[in-house]
Amino acid sequence: MNDIGEFSLLLALATALYGCVAYVMSARGNRIDLYLSADKTPFIVWGCVALSSVCLMRGFLTNDFSLQYVWAYSNIELDTFYKVSSFWGGQKGSLLFWTLLLSSYMLVVHFQNRKKNLRVVPYAMAVMLVIIVFFLFLINFSTNPFERIPLPPEDGRGLNPLLQNYWMVIHPPTLYLGYVGFTVPFAFAVAALISKDLDDGWIRMTRKWTLISWFFLCMGNLFGASWAYVELGWGGYWAWDPVENAAFMPLLVATAYLHSVMIQEKKDMMKVWNMSLVLLTFAMTIFGTFITRSGLIQSVHTFDEATLGYYFLAFLFFIIVSCVGLIISRLPLLKSTNELDSFLSRESSFLFNNLVLLGIAFATFWGTIFPIISEAVRGVKITVGPPFYNQVNVPIGLALLALIGIGPVIAWRRATFSNLKKNFLRPVAAAIIAAVVLLPFIPLGSRTEIYTYITFVLCVFVLTSILTEFYKGMVSRMGLHDETAVGALATVTWRNKRRYGGYIVHIGVVLIFAGIAGSQAYGTHTEKHLKIGDSFEIRGYTITYEKLVAVEATNVKTRIIAQLAVERDGKRYWTGHPEKEFYKGQNQPVSEVDVLSTWKEDLYMILADFREDESATIKVYVNPMVSWMWTGGWIIAFGSMISMWPDRLEQRRRLERVRRQDHLFPSPAQE
Amino acid sequence: MGFIHFLELILIVVILLAVGIPLFGKLKSKKLVEPIDVSSDTYKHLLMRKEETLISIKELEFDYSTDKISELDYKDLLRKLEKEAEGILVNMDRLEQERRKNKSHKPI
Repeated sequence: MNDIGEFSLLLALATALYGCVAYVMSARGNRIDLYLSADKTPFIVWGCVALSSVCLMRGFLTNDFSLQYVWAYSNIELDTFYKVSSFWGGQKGSLLFWTLLLSSYMLVVHFQNRKKNLRVVPYAMAVMLVIIVFFLFLINFSTNPFERIPLPPEDGRGLNPLLQNYWMVIHPPTLYLGYVGFTVPFAFAVAALISKDLDDGWIRMTRKWTLISWFFLCMGNLFGASWAYVELGWGGYWAWDPVENAAFMPLLVATAYLHSVMIQEKKDMMKVWNMSLVLLTFAMTIFGTFITRSGLIQSVHTFDEATLGYYFLAFLFFIIVSCVGLIISRLPLLKSTNELDSFLSRESSFLFNNLVLLGIAFATFWGTIFPIISEAVRGVKITVGPPFYNQVNVPIGLALLALIGIGPVIAWRRATFSNLKKNFLRPVAAAIIAAVVLLPFIPLGSRTEIYTYITFVLCVFVLTSILTEFYKGMVSRMGLHDETAVGALATVTWRNKRRYGGYIVHIGVVLIFAGIAGSQAYGTHTEKHLKIGDSFEIRGYTITYEKLVAVEATNVKTRIIAQLAVERDGKRYWTGHPEKEFYKGQNQPVSEVDVLSTWKEDLYMILADFREDESATIKVYVNPMVSWMWTGGWIIAFGSMISMWPDRLEQRRRLERVRRQDHLFPSPAQE
Repeated sequence: MGFIHFLELILIVVILLAVGIPLFGKLKSKKLVEPIDVSSDTYKHLLMRKEETLISIKELEFDYSTDKISELDYKDLLRKLEKEAEGILVNMDRLEQERRKNKSHKPI
């Protein structure tokens, strides 16, 4: 099976290479025979990569330690659940997994578009195949997951204990689905540039793909934060680590694109800007891959054998140079004839939103690459820490939060100042009331506290602004139809999925802002060395160290569990069980935290150390409002689902457009 | 020849057949797309603009019903959008007529 897996990777590479050439030649030579030949390659490439993935997965499930990759990331005792996730636990498998996802996306795109817009589609398929060729080249010749060990050992080294967490089973595939998904809009954008078919067609063809990729990238970031929170055991969820930043930057640029593309759809403007944003988003995903695989920047998330940096850097350079060249050569075709109707319009607020999002992305990018630049220029690697990011990004983030509230109130094209004043009345009044009510409860002694206060006030402003929009939509619907309030609200949301789905996503974002502000400003922690029976207090909780238990969980894992009784107002409230896990063959134990999560705050416990006399060092954090962030994430997921849900009216409009176009100008392939 | 090599050979043959068959069919004379026709592109663009303009009119009405713009601005923008839509429809009609005329002049 391993031979077949390895061989099918070579076949996939050869087929993908042929596919690239055949697609381009079919488009350039206007040859349908070549196109139909090339059109078989997405399926073949996907089949070969899937076969290879099945072979590797079989290696994990059958403990085939003759494969170096299986030996390095699995062992006999590993749960089947984690054996599956070991597939993407290391560099070799993660690249194969990436290629599998990309070829799967390509296959879906192929089935969706094989008979549509044949001037653009062959080039788009060729672009996707070029990217697949790059990954397959690396897998075949630089980091082969089917590399053998001549004398197979009896057992493997095992998966890094930090990765043995359910979030790590979900987080990487989700993030990859986002990263890889942006290849589709990128491929269509490049194809539109090459074929000079630069109207909105490529945007419409990729609108859903962009939303789906954004959704996965957003969820991937949140799942990653959840993993860091429960597994890394330092009490936080985000450390502005280079790899976290690498996943965050494409999300920011993609968010900017999602907003600005609406202006192009409505006003036929900003073609160069949108094209640049799509290309930048894709470049950022490759940059993220470069960060995790270059070994140039230290992070807990980088792969052990990070040796592929220069390949990715070269590929990134190739993408940027060729895309910038293409855009410049097509500038005359990308010119817009339309202008903004008014400075006071939703379009303008979207432009500001774009600038703010790109500002945060740039600051994050600068902080991420600063160690590389400082080492290259001064010979000393200077790492930029959270204070830099917080100082720069927090004020810009607050401007972004304000814009989320301002946007919905302003009309498209042109807003009337007097109506604007009227519409801002409720959100501003709510914000003022919140500011007054919160003032006695929130200390304003430090910059962080002031920022937090502003964040809470702005959150109230934004929430009121969005909820007012729902209310107005509902009332407007009720005025026209005989419907109940709930019915009208549901209908108005369902009939305008993009608009109201977006508003729901914004509500989720507001909760995330509030959660971050609350947990960053008002968190507290303490560290105590305790003997059995000792107690201490933190934020109204009385914590008593009751016992320490050792459990042989499996043949390779021993758990040392501390039992801590938590009392509040004299009553037993909860029992915490933070633990340390010792894995056979691993030098460092892993902390498993225990968290009591409520809407108000998280009580977060870590067993930092223990001694033979059963005394233990316990760290306890009280992190306010962390659960608001996770709730915000689920609300974003819900809002995204509504936005992504197929719109029958839109489909009907598209079919009608295609029917009229084909009726008047039939293409040979459709005849 | 071992079983694995036999399987590999089968895979190669299947792939070669899959990508090769279309090249040896009777499709060589057929074209993938019509030569670039400016009027086709313009028509496609107009269809999209028509759709977007109609959506903009609906959104304008919604914005007006939710009191985001004054009656004066609403009427002004509506007039502008209707003029835009009218221009698009006129251009589409012209292209459709031209196309039909060209089709009817084509030798059989």
